[in-house]
Amino acid sequence: MKKRRMFFRMITASLIRRRSRMFVALLAIAVGATILSGLTTIYYDVPKQMGEQFRNYGANMIFVASADSDGLTTESVDEALSYIKNDQIVGVAPYRYETVTVNEQPVIVAGTDLSGAQKTSPYWYITGEWPSAGGQVLVGKETADLLSVKVGDTIKMTYSAEALENPDQPAETDRSQNEDAVNMTFMVAGTLDTGGSEENYIFMSLEDVASLTGESSKLDVAELSVSATQEELNGYVEKISSSVSDVTPRLVKRVTQSETTVLSKLQSLVLLVTIVVLLLMMICVATTMMAVVTERRKEIGLRKSLGASNKSIVYEFMGEGVLLGAVGGLLGSILGFVFAQAVSVNVFNSTITFRPLLVPITILASMVVTGAACLIPVRNATEVDPALVLKGE
Amino acid sequence: MSLLELKNVSKIYGPLKALDDISLKVEEGEWVAIMGPSGSGKSTMMNIISCLDKPSLGEVLLDGVDIAKESSKKLTEIRRDKIGLIFQQFHLVNYLTAVENVMVAQYYHSMPDEQEALEALERVGLKDRAKHLPSQLSGGEQQRVCIARALINHPEIILADEPTGNLDEANENIVLDLFQQLHDEGTTLIVVTHDPEVGEVAQRTVILNHGKIDREIINENFGKKKQEEQSNEA
Amino acid sequence: MFLRMVRGALFRQKGKMLMIAFTILLGASLATSMLNVMLDVGDKVNQELKAYGANITVVPKENSVIDDIYELEGENADEIKSAYLKEDELGKIKTIFWAFNIVDFAPFIDTTVNLNGSEVKLVGSWYNHHLSLPTGEELDTGVTSLRSWWDITDGEWADEQKDTNGVMVGTLLAQTQGIKAGDTITVSTKNATKNLKVVGIFDCGSDEDEQLYTTLDNAQELSNTDGLLSSIEVSALTTPDNELARKAAKDPSSLSIADYETWYCTAYASSICYQIQEVITDSVASPVRQVAESEGAIMEKTQLLMILITILSLVGSALGISNLVTASVMERSNELGLLKAIGAKDGAISALVLTEIMITALFGGAAGYFVGYGFAQIIGQTVFGSAIDMKPLVIPIVAVLIVVVTLFGSIPAIRTLLRMKPAEVLHGR
Repeated sequence: MKKRRMFFRMITASLIRRRSRMFVALLAIAVGATILSGLTTIYYDVPKQMGEQFRNYGANMIFVASADSDGLTTESVDEALSYIKNDQIVGVAPYRYETVTVNEQPVIVAGTDLSGAQKTSPYWYITGEWPSAGGQVLVGKETADLLSVKVGDTIKMTYSAEALENPDQPAETDRSQNEDAVNMTFMVAGTLDTGGSEENYIFMSLEDVASLTGESSKLDVAELSVSATQEELNGYVEKISSSVSDVTPRLVKRVTQSETTVLSKLQSLVLLVTIVVLLLMMICVATTMMAVVTERRKEIGLRKSLGASNKSIVYEFMGEGVLLGAVGGLLGSILGFVFAQAVSVNVFNSTITFRPLLVPITILASMVVTGAACLIPVRNATEVDPALVLKGE
Repeated sequence: MSLLELKNVSKIYGPLKALDDISLKVEEGEWVAIMGPSGSGKSTMMNIISCLDKPSLGEVLLDGVDIAKESSKKLTEIRRDKIGLIFQQFHLVNYLTAVENVMVAQYYHSMPDEQEALEALERVGLKDRAKHLPSQLSGGEQQRVCIARALINHPEIILADEPTGNLDEANENIVLDLFQQLHDEGTTLIVVTHDPEVGEVAQRTVILNHGKIDREIINENFGKKKQEEQSNEA
Repeated sequence: MFLRMVRGALFRQKGKMLMIAFTILLGASLATSMLNVMLDVGDKVNQELKAYGANITVVPKENSVIDDIYELEGENADEIKSAYLKEDELGKIKTIFWAFNIVDFAPFIDTTVNLNGSEVKLVGSWYNHHLSLPTGEELDTGVTSLRSWWDITDGEWADEQKDTNGVMVGTLLAQTQGIKAGDTITVSTKNATKNLKVVGIFDCGSDEDEQLYTTLDNAQELSNTDGLLSSIEVSALTTPDNELARKAAKDPSSLSIADYETWYCTAYASSICYQIQEVITDSVASPVRQVAESEGAIMEKTQLLMILITILSLVGSALGISNLVTASVMERSNELGLLKAIGAKDGAISALVLTEIMITALFGGAAGYFVGYGFAQIIGQTVFGSAIDMKPLVIPIVAVLIVVVTLFGSIPAIRTLLRMKPAEVLHGR
């Protein structure tokens, strides 16, 4: 065992007493390892982080009432939601559409969970503010133009169950005198600009719609923004449609399909970039190690003249390289995580999870690369006649 | 049987005959100096004896084994077990301390033993410098570390290539005194040098010229210097 | 003599210099490929995001609201004929300032038809319409590319080049009516009755699932709106919005002349909309926020991500190069010590070493640029299926990077060497 101690004594002496050279090598390895662990972390994190960005496109799943049910209710939606992993749900916005009249003009109001809608439709552009209390509404731009209302104005709405039954009938002047009619006044908190059909609606809380119409748990549709892969989404659709009879889940193909296409491209972009960068960095580390080892031809010659076999010289240098690789790998995996974290915070405003498995992988990879990089020049050096090496300056 | 015997050894580099049909015997316990001008084949001979190189023609018998026929792996073993080398440029591993440099030789030979290595350094008068790096030692001290390293495995032959070439006179004398001690203890010494003073102190001087043995001088004064010193001391 | 020495070093130490050149080549190729990919990734991702369909819709000025709210039908169509876009103006979209950024566009006309007794919305558009533009450009466009997410559950995409009487049916409608691909359905309005062949059933998870899609001509005939359109969807490559674009979107006339120029000449969704409005009579073009906003966000994130990765790899290649240069200059301590011993001045030695390394770097860097070009193209072809546009800007960046990095890599090593005493160097301490 004494022999092994001498082995380590020589290696550590070489590493510690040749500080500046070893620092150069260590730096190279650490940079390589940083890139390895940093980019791998990013590569694994991209689908998740980018997936969240894709949630900007809004809802990717909707719940509608099944053909044979009495309609969608808050209860059945909640039941269906329980099948989806909680941390994957970005937002849920149940919608209930009713026709009301404002100044004798029919207008569609959409009752929803406004904070949910904010999450399922992050692209909505609001002038003014999101309604923060009951009695406030968000008016679509087109409707706002039609009714000529601005932020801060009030709107008086009239709901009549009878009008609902005959929606195609032209407005009758006596409708406001209808006994069933409910009149309520709302304040316009903001106007909505989307470039889509939402601009034609007035949005308010479900509670307000309920107090306008009386019924409380009825829904027309629920929009969901779920951060999951296409397969997971398909799985949810299957599970929910078979378990919750009142709800038919459907995927918004425009969002899911396109997300899969684009996301897979992005991921393969990062993968390919990672591979190219890694490949080049590995060669870079290897050439640096080669330069560092080639420099020591004389020492190799000396050891040979002292009676060292080629094998033991190869072992010593490999040992040195591997040890260096291990330290560099450890350093690199720490720095890599720091880098990935910085990227994540700067690009996606979120932190990443530490992948413990990546540490041993990074260290192992650095050890293999440096070990292999040492092997070639050491082999070359041992093949050279020691007499020539020792004689030559 | 001689410890080392060269029989009709030639070494040919292309058109150049570095060694030309050399025959030489070295007996156990002998102190032989090999001298000659630059390019006379000293170093080539040294390389062949130290198993760093093989002759083109002829036999080199070390302990009765023809090293010219051995594989390079076997040569490494012979070198490790039987030969201690001392170089003009010292060739110490610059990141290892004096004692560690000695231990390297032990390591490749058998087992590193720090105690023994320290004793070897003590013999060359460097016990207090054991923990110094080569860069902290003077030239003479470095060469003494080399001698300690050459001695550590009790080789049959110590081969020194211009051991005093990089040393001043004071250090040269220290080194030569060490050689004298080794000789007295019965170690076989072969010293390659171009310095007549170093050559003179050997028992026998072989002078090479153009790859051939020009002449051999048996040093008649051998041992006298020592006796003189002893009488001076007395 | 100087040149002779440089030549000597370059040719006689071939191995060593090749290694330096090789490392510089690697660094340069890494920098080149990453910079090129980074600079082009915006355009590439933008192209990919076209999968989400149109990001601009053009509707007639007056009627967009009226149609939805009052649910006006065919009978009133004559009265509001002015509230249509003109089909013959379509080509003008490809004549605007940012015409080159317009990837796809398709006209739409919708009407309500009677299908087996129930009222169904029928949309007329192009499927895979072949356009020969006055500019000489050829373009295949239509729903096939603007509704790329449609899942064809039965049959296939309609091909208007082959069969103008094809119709595609939304999956919900097909279920309720029991329609299969290959069937022939009869649709009628008060203007006309037509027999259409069902080519495919599509599923898209939106209200289009209850609609019929047929060719523009069929729909115009049914709704008696020959040469008229109810909307145009435009898919354009846009620059993510910034403050200026937002300000301009509200009211372009509020901008200063310089700002207006900048805005008009940048491919913001709002400026493209503005330019479309200029060429299509009585139209309102507005960005589809769902697409436009998200596109902006994703492009920004991707670009930022690529920038950071590029910076990391630039730092990596810089360190790699300077490391090797340091290591190889250090290695030559003997030779440089000797030069010093025979009387070379510090400046002369530095100049010698630097010249050697710079010449090596020049070759390495030049070769690296082309290797990097290759890597960039591999990435482009593999990921996006198209070549990466090589920006000339990259050349000076890479050149400066290599020079600076090589200099910084050699300077510390040279300084250490110069500080050494020649005697020490030569005695191999």
